[in-house]
Amino acid sequence: MIAKEIQEEVHNCIKCGLCLTPCPVYKQLCFEGASPRGKVQLIKNVLEGKLEPSENFHRLLFTCLLCETCTANCPSGLKVDRLMKAMRAELLEKFGLPWQKKMLFNLLVSDRLLPFFLFWGRTLGPSLLSLMPKGGKIGTIPYSKFPRLNRKALRDQYPEIIPVPNPEGRVLYFTGCATNYLFEGVGRAVIHVLQRLGVEVIIPRGQVCCGLPIFLAGARKMALKNMRKNLELFNRDDVDAVIVDCATCGAALKKEYAHILEEMGESPEAAKAVGRKVLDISQYLARFDLGKLLRPVAARVTYHDPCHLLRSQGVKEEPRHLLRRIPGVQFVEMAGADVCCGGGGTFQWEHPDVASGITGKKVQSIKETGAGIVASGCPGCRLQICGNLGEDSIETLHPVELVARALP
Amino acid sequence: MLNPDALKKFSSIVGPGRLKTSKEDLLTYAYDAYVQEFLPDAVLFPKSPEEVSQIMKVASAHKIPITPRGAGSGLGGCALAKKGGVILCFTMMNRILEINTANRYAVVEPGVVISEFQKELEKLNLFYPPDPGSATVATMGGAVLMNAGGMRGVKYGVTRDYLLGLEIVLPSGEVMKTGGLTTKDVTGYDLTRLICGSEGTLALVTRITVRLLPKPKSRRTLQAIYNRIDDAGNTVAKIIEAGIIPATLELMDKSIIKALEDSAHLGLPLDAEAILLIDVDGDLETVEKQAALVADFCKSLGARDVRVSQSEKENEQLWVARRSAFGAVARMRPTCVIEDATVPVSYLTSAIKKVIEISERNRVQIAVLAHAGDGNLHPLVLCDQRDQEEMKRVEKAMDEIVDYAMSVGGTLSGEHGIGIAKAKYLPKQLSGTSLAMMRAIKKTFDPQGILNPGSFLEYAA
Repeated sequence: MIAKEIQEEVHNCIKCGLCLTPCPVYKQLCFEGASPRGKVQLIKNVLEGKLEPSENFHRLLFTCLLCETCTANCPSGLKVDRLMKAMRAELLEKFGLPWQKKMLFNLLVSDRLLPFFLFWGRTLGPSLLSLMPKGGKIGTIPYSKFPRLNRKALRDQYPEIIPVPNPEGRVLYFTGCATNYLFEGVGRAVIHVLQRLGVEVIIPRGQVCCGLPIFLAGARKMALKNMRKNLELFNRDDVDAVIVDCATCGAALKKEYAHILEEMGESPEAAKAVGRKVLDISQYLARFDLGKLLRPVAARVTYHDPCHLLRSQGVKEEPRHLLRRIPGVQFVEMAGADVCCGGGGTFQWEHPDVASGITGKKVQSIKETGAGIVASGCPGCRLQICGNLGEDSIETLHPVELVARALP
Repeated sequence: MLNPDALKKFSSIVGPGRLKTSKEDLLTYAYDAYVQEFLPDAVLFPKSPEEVSQIMKVASAHKIPITPRGAGSGLGGCALAKKGGVILCFTMMNRILEINTANRYAVVEPGVVISEFQKELEKLNLFYPPDPGSATVATMGGAVLMNAGGMRGVKYGVTRDYLLGLEIVLPSGEVMKTGGLTTKDVTGYDLTRLICGSEGTLALVTRITVRLLPKPKSRRTLQAIYNRIDDAGNTVAKIIEAGIIPATLELMDKSIIKALEDSAHLGLPLDAEAILLIDVDGDLETVEKQAALVADFCKSLGARDVRVSQSEKENEQLWVARRSAFGAVARMRPTCVIEDATVPVSYLTSAIKKVIEISERNRVQIAVLAHAGDGNLHPLVLCDQRDQEEMKRVEKAMDEIVDYAMSVGGTLSGEHGIGIAKAKYLPKQLSGTSLAMMRAIKKTFDPQGILNPGSFLEYAA
C-alpha cells in the first residue's frame, strides 16, 4: 500500500494546470495523460477504486522522466514525483519489469556480475560492436557514442585509504557505478583534486550500486540490500563528509533512502544520518579557496543542471562557482540550463521519440552558447547529451574534471 | 456512447493517434481548474482548420456535442463535456504562423501558449499585453474564447482589445473569417468581439490575428505596506485621480501576507493589513517621475514602508511576494476556489472589507488578492471539496459576494467567465431581454445546439 501521507497528495491537486508547460514530456506530446496533472488524476482514480490499473495506465506512469519539474513548480506543493514513485512500486507485482530492465538491474545489484561484465565487456566490446548494424542505437544514443568501459574498476585502482600528510580533512568517497565502471576520469579527478587539497580520501570496500534506477522503476525490494549495505558502510562519525560525484547517487543517499524507508514503515534514522553527511563534490569543494592553486585553462564552458542535482538536492550555484573560479574559463549560461536533458535513466530507450525531441532542444541551447565544453555532474545527462551532440566536437565533462585539468 | 459510425469518420479525419477514447484519456479530460468533472466520450486533437471543419460536419450530421478546449486551466468548467460527446482539444495546433513587424500584428494557431508567444515577441521588442495568471499554460484560443484579462488590464486592457481578426469554424463546418489586419475596421457587425468571450458556444477559433505594441522601454515596481487597508484603497483612488495609469496595481490582504510568511518567509510584517504592488512603465524619464510621484502618494496616505525598485532585477525581487501568493495560499487547504467578482474601482476597499466580513460570518477561509486598479477581486476560497457541510458554507459565502458586487454595480465575473460555476447567477445581472437576445444569437450560429452544450445560457434557462 502507498503510504497514507503520499496518498493524501491526490486530494491536494487543484488542477490549475501550472505543471503542464514546464513538463518536458507534456510539451512534446501535448495530451493530458502525459502531464503531471493527468497522472495525479489517474492515480487518484486508481486509489479510489474507480480505475483498474490497466496496461495503458502503467504505460502513462512510465511516460515520465521523474525530473521533478512538476514538484518544483506546483503551487500547492504536491510531491508529484513521490506519488509517481510510490505508484510505480505498487504496480510492480502486477506488471513486473521488462526484460531489458531486469537484466540491467540484476547486473547492478550483483557485486560479482558487474566485475565479470566489466572484463568481458572491455575485452569483447569493440569486436561485438563491429558486428552490430552500423548506425545502430540504444534509444537515442548511437553505439559509437558509448564510452569504453574502464580498463579496471576505479575502486581496484586505488587503495581503500588514500593517505595525505597532515590531512586538512577526511572524507568517504561513494564512487557510484558510472564512475567505477565507465567514467574513471571523473573518479581520478575527484581523488586528484582532494589529494591536492590535502584531504584524506577513504573508498570503503564493499560499497555497492546505490540502487536508485531500480527504486525509480518501482522494484524497491530488489535493491533493499544495496541500500542497507551502503548505509552500514557510510554511517560513520569519523569523517567530514560523504562525497559523491554522481547526481543520482547523491539524490539516493541524501533523501531517497530515507523516503523509501519511511514509506515502508521502517526507521529512516540511519538514512537521515548518512544523508546529512552527503555532499556533492561541487558542494565540498566550495569549502576551499581554490583560487590560488588553479592554473589557467582556456575554454568556453557552459553548464547543464542535472535534475537529480538541481531539484532533488537543491544544488545550483556550487558547480557554476567552481567553473567560474578556473582562470581562463569563459563561462556562458545556456538557455534553459535547468530543463531536463531528456535522458531520465531508462526513459530514453523506452521513449526514444519523446526523448529525442527534448534532447534536441537541449543540444540546440548548448550549441547556441558557442561553448567548447558542456559540464554536468551526472553520468546519465552526460551520456544523453554526448550521445545526441552529433558530429559536433563539443566535449562533455564533469565539472571536477575541468578543475583537475587546472590543478596539475 | 458515440455513434460508432461517427467515431470511424472522426478517426479517418485525424488518424487513430489523435483520437483518444481509452478510459484513462477520458478521465484526464474530465476536469479543468474548476471543481466539477464530466466524462467526455472521446477526445480529438485537430491540427488544421480543414480537420476542424470536417469534424464539425460529422458532428452536425450526427448531432454530437462538441466542446472546445485549450490547456484546461479555466476556472468555470467551460471546457468540460457537460453533455458528453467530444472534447476538441487544440493543444496540438500550436504554431505561431506570422509575426509581422512592419504592420505590428501576429497570426497564431489556437493552441499556442500565451507566455511562449510573448517570449517570441520579446525577442523582437514587441509586446502582447494580456497576462492572465495562467499565461504560462493557457492557450491563445482559450484566451480568445474566454476574453482573458490579467494584471495588466488596468493599463492595457484585455484580450478583446488586441484582436484584429479571427478565422472561425461554425458548428455546420463552414469556415469564416472575421475582421482583418487593420486596427481600424468598421465593415459590418464586429463578429470578432462577439466570438471573443463567447465561451465556445458560438464557433471554434482556428486562426487568431492580434495587434502588437512596441515593448515598453522601462518598468519600475513599487511595494507599499499599509497598517490599514483603507489607506491602501485611498492610495489606489489617488493614483487614478492624479491621471497616472499604472501598468499593474495589485493588492494583497492580511491573510495573503500571513500565508506568504508561513511558507516563504519573505520578512513581511504580520500586523500589516494590505500590500500594494504597483508597476509603472514607459520611457525611462516618465517612469522615474511617475514612480517618485506614486511613492509620495503612498507615503502621504499612510504606508508604513515604501520601496521603489531601481532596476529590472529589483523589479523581480519585489514581485516575488505577489508571484508566490497563489501557491502560498493554495497549499493551506486541499481545495482552492478562485472567485473573481468585480466592482467599480472606487468600491474596492469596501468590497474587500465586505468579503472579509462574509468570510468570518460564514466561517469560510478566504484570502483576498485583487487587481486593484480595475476593481477585479480575487478572493481565494480555501476548503476541502470532500467536506460537504463546509462546501455548503462556501457556496453561501460566494452567493453573498456576488450579491454585494451586484448591489454596487459590479459584475459576476471580471475575467474568469461564467461557465457552469456562475451560470445560476446570470439572471441577477442580465435582464430577460438581454438573455433572450443572447439565446437568439446562439441559435443563429448553432441551431442544433451542439457546440459546448450545458453552458451558461442553457443553465440559466
